[in-house]
Amino acid sequence: MKKYLIIGNSAAGVNAAVAIRTNDKTGDVKIISCEEFNSYGRPLISYYLNGKVKSENIYCHDEDFYRSMNLEVLLNTKAEKVDTIKKEVLVGLGERISRISYDKLLIATGSSPFIPYIKNLDFNLQKNVFTFLTYKDSVKLKEKITKNSRVVIAGAGLIGLKAAEGLFGQVASITVVDLDNRVMASVLDKSEADIIQAHIEQKFISFKLQTSICEVQGENNVSRVILSNGETLNCDILVVAVGVRPNVVLAKEAGIKTSKGMFVDEYMQTSVKDIYAAGDCVESLDLLTGESKVFALWPNASNQGGIAGLNMTGIKTRTPKTFAMNSISFFGLQLTSAGIINNSRSIDTFVDSTKNKLRKLNVLNDNLIGFVLINDNQRAGIYTSLINDKVGLSTLAYDITSKDIGFNVYSKQERTKKIWDYKGGY
Amino acid sequence: MGCVFMLCKDGSKKESMMKKIYAFESKCLGCGLCEVHCRTAHSKSKDIVKTHKRENIASAIVIEENLSSNTVSYFALQCRHCENPKCIKACISGAMYKDDSGIVLNNKEKCVGCLSCILVCPFGVIKKNDDGRSVSKCDLCVGSCEPFCVKNCPNEAIKFLDEDGARALI
Repeated sequence: MKKYLIIGNSAAGVNAAVAIRTNDKTGDVKIISCEEFNSYGRPLISYYLNGKVKSENIYCHDEDFYRSMNLEVLLNTKAEKVDTIKKEVLVGLGERISRISYDKLLIATGSSPFIPYIKNLDFNLQKNVFTFLTYKDSVKLKEKITKNSRVVIAGAGLIGLKAAEGLFGQVASITVVDLDNRVMASVLDKSEADIIQAHIEQKFISFKLQTSICEVQGENNVSRVILSNGETLNCDILVVAVGVRPNVVLAKEAGIKTSKGMFVDEYMQTSVKDIYAAGDCVESLDLLTGESKVFALWPNASNQGGIAGLNMTGIKTRTPKTFAMNSISFFGLQLTSAGIINNSRSIDTFVDSTKNKLRKLNVLNDNLIGFVLINDNQRAGIYTSLINDKVGLSTLAYDITSKDIGFNVYSKQERTKKIWDYKGGY
Repeated sequence: MGCVFMLCKDGSKKESMMKKIYAFESKCLGCGLCEVHCRTAHSKSKDIVKTHKRENIASAIVIEENLSSNTVSYFALQCRHCENPKCIKACISGAMYKDDSGIVLNNKEKCVGCLSCILVCPFGVIKKNDDGRSVSKCDLCVGSCEPFCVKNCPNEAIKFLDEDGARALI
C-alpha cells in the first residue's frame, strides 16, 4: 500500500488528493494543514466579510467528502521539516512533534502575505493590523470592525480591492494606498485601471496612489499612518495587502531547488525524487513569454495539483504551460482578463469601449496573446482557448477584432471536432 | 442515462454511453424554440408566457449563426459535460461539480458569480445571469428522460444521444 502525504489542504492539495484516490483506491492518503478549517474557497473570504457567503458555504466540499474519498486530514498541523533520506515529514501538533512517513510527498504550501517594511509596524503588538489571505484573517477582521472604523488598506491589487469591497457599508471610511499610479497594476493598464477605480470611487472608497505607507503611529493599536508623500491618515484598522510570496522555507531546508518558488519538472516533481510540488509555491513556465514564474492563481493551483496527483500514482502526465488569467467583480463591475494585457510596441491592441464597458484584444503576429474584458465577458472562454491553443487567427472564419466572439469563429470541421472529441483537461 | 464503462474489443475500458445533446447543423432553422423551452423548463412557473414576462432566466443554449457570402445557417450549442471540465477546476466556490452520472452542474446556492467558469469554458456555453450572482448552464434537464430543448425542437436539429448513437447519424 502506497503512502501519499500532502502538505496543504487548499486548491492544489485537495485536487491532488482527488486525483490520487481516483486512481489508487487503496493507498493511504494523508493531508496536513496548518489552518484550523477544512478546505475553503480562498477567494471567498471577501464574500464572507460582507456576508454574501455564510460560513457554512465557504467550504469547497461538504462534510462527507473527505470520509467518502477516504482521505485523512490533519488540521492545525504544521510541517516543520522534511527528511528526504528517511522519507518522513516532522509535524508539530501543538506541543507534540511526530513523524509521518511517505512514499510520495506533495508540497502545496501556497503563499503568505508579503509585509513591506513600515516603520513601527508590529503585527505581534498592534491589535488592529491585519493581512487578508486566509479565512481566519477575514473572521478576525470582521470581528474587529465597527461602523465607526476608519480603514486604511495598503495595496490596490486584487486582494486589497476585494478587502475594500468586503468592508464596504460596514465601516466609516476606506482609503486604499498604492505605490503604483493605478489599481491592479500587475494585471491592468492605466486606461482599464481607471475604469475600475472610477467605479469603486462611486462607493466613496478613496485612493491614494503613487505613495506608500512609510510609518505607523500607535503602540498597541495603530492610530495614524504616515504616507511617503507627507500626508497623514487617521486609522482604526490597517489591512496590509500588497501581494504574496511563495512558502518555500520548508522546501529550501529540505534541499529542494528553489528560486522564488520551487522548481518542478513537467511532471510536477521537484529536484528531489518522490517529492512533488504544486500551486502558489512553484514556478511555472509561461506559455506566452517562456519565462519561469509564480502564478498565484486558483485555477492554476487546481490544475497543477490534479496533475501532480496523477504523477504521484504513477500515471505519467505532462503539465501544460500556463498563463495569467483572472475573473473578478467589484461592486457589480465584472473584469475578466488573460495572457499579456499590457500595451507594447510589438503588440497590436484592439480596443472597443463604451461607457463602463471595454473589450481589449492583444494580438501578436497571427495569435491572440491576451485580453481584458470589462462588463463584456460573455463567451470569454473562447478567447482563452484561442490563446491556449495558439490558434492562427488567419485560419478562423472571421476577424475576431471586428465582432463579438462565438463558436462560429471555427470552421464547421473544427467545430465538429471540438464538440465530439474535446474532453476538457488542464 | 448514466456514465458507465464499456469494455472495448481490444480489452480496454472506455467511458461511454453518457447521453449528451448533439446538434445537427443542416437541420437547424435558428428558430430559438430550444431557448424558449430551456428557460421555461428552468423557471419557477414552468409556463412559457409567465417565464417570458416575469422571470429573468438565461437559457443554457447558445444559438449561433454562420454567415457566408450566400447562405445563412445556424447551430445550437450547450455544455459538453467534459470528462475533465475546466470550469470545475477554475471554480473558486465549489459551486461547479460533476454528479455521479457525469453531468456538470452548478449549485446556485454556492455560486458567487465570479465568472471564472466563463473565463475557461472553451465552448463559451456558460452564461451569466442578470442578477450578477450566478450562472446558467445546461443540466441536461436532469431528472427528466429527455431535455426539453430536444423534446421541443421542431426539426430534430438537436438530439439526445450517446456518442456512438450520434456518430452513427453523421
